[in-house]
Amino acid sequence: MTDIPAHLPHRYPFLLVDRVLEREPGVRVVAEKLVTNGEPYLQGHFEGHPLVPGVLLLEMLAQAGGFLEAEPLHGAAIFLAGVQDARFRAPALPGDRLRLEVRSDGAFAGMMKIRGTVSCEGRDLCTAALLVKRL
Amino acid sequence: MSDLKLRVKEMIIERLKLEGMTPDQIDDGAPLFGEGLGLDSIDALELVLGIEQVFGVKIEDEAAGLKAFKSVQALTDFIAENAK
Repeated sequence: MTDIPAHLPHRYPFLLVDRVLEREPGVRVVAEKLVTNGEPYLQGHFEGHPLVPGVLLLEMLAQAGGFLEAEPLHGAAIFLAGVQDARFRAPALPGDRLRLEVRSDGAFAGMMKIRGTVSCEGRDLCTAALLVKRL
Repeated sequence: MSDLKLRVKEMIIERLKLEGMTPDQIDDGAPLFGEGLGLDSIDALELVLGIEQVFGVKIEDEAAGLKAFKSVQALTDFIAENAK
């Protein structure tokens, strides 16, 4: 799946998923983000030593989690409601092809808990559980 | 305190990370949400997942949740009735 804007409401420069490689709605999603030198946040984070901010790795997982929903999310009010057990094991750098893997832990009353991993070339960079609320 | 009720309280404390709280501090009849323990919708999801994981009991929808989360006693009864 490559037509990401057809599903997610996010847009440049905050659309942080490039491709969806595997997708089983309600269960599991594998997506991809290529970190290019032109990413706006790299310019100042940090000067001469660019790396992807950890909070954006979490945002990538949250956006990948959007594809757990079977229907497109345009117009849907969805909020990140919680972050648990976040670990940042290594930085994501320009040129990295990031693999975003998320799995649903379960859902209840408009809330969903997902667990995700950002990895690059088989090495885990970030793991976290996210709580997402849909109004 | 029945064994099941004690396990329910321990699950609530562990799952919601109510550090410093012990099972005997949770009133059997106090509401879990709003007054009482003061839990919110995020806690509700954690409890739904915890109940399924620990006791193998699913809370299918909000109506079932409203009934089950009325109090620890109600939740214990719900689990006892629906455990396989």
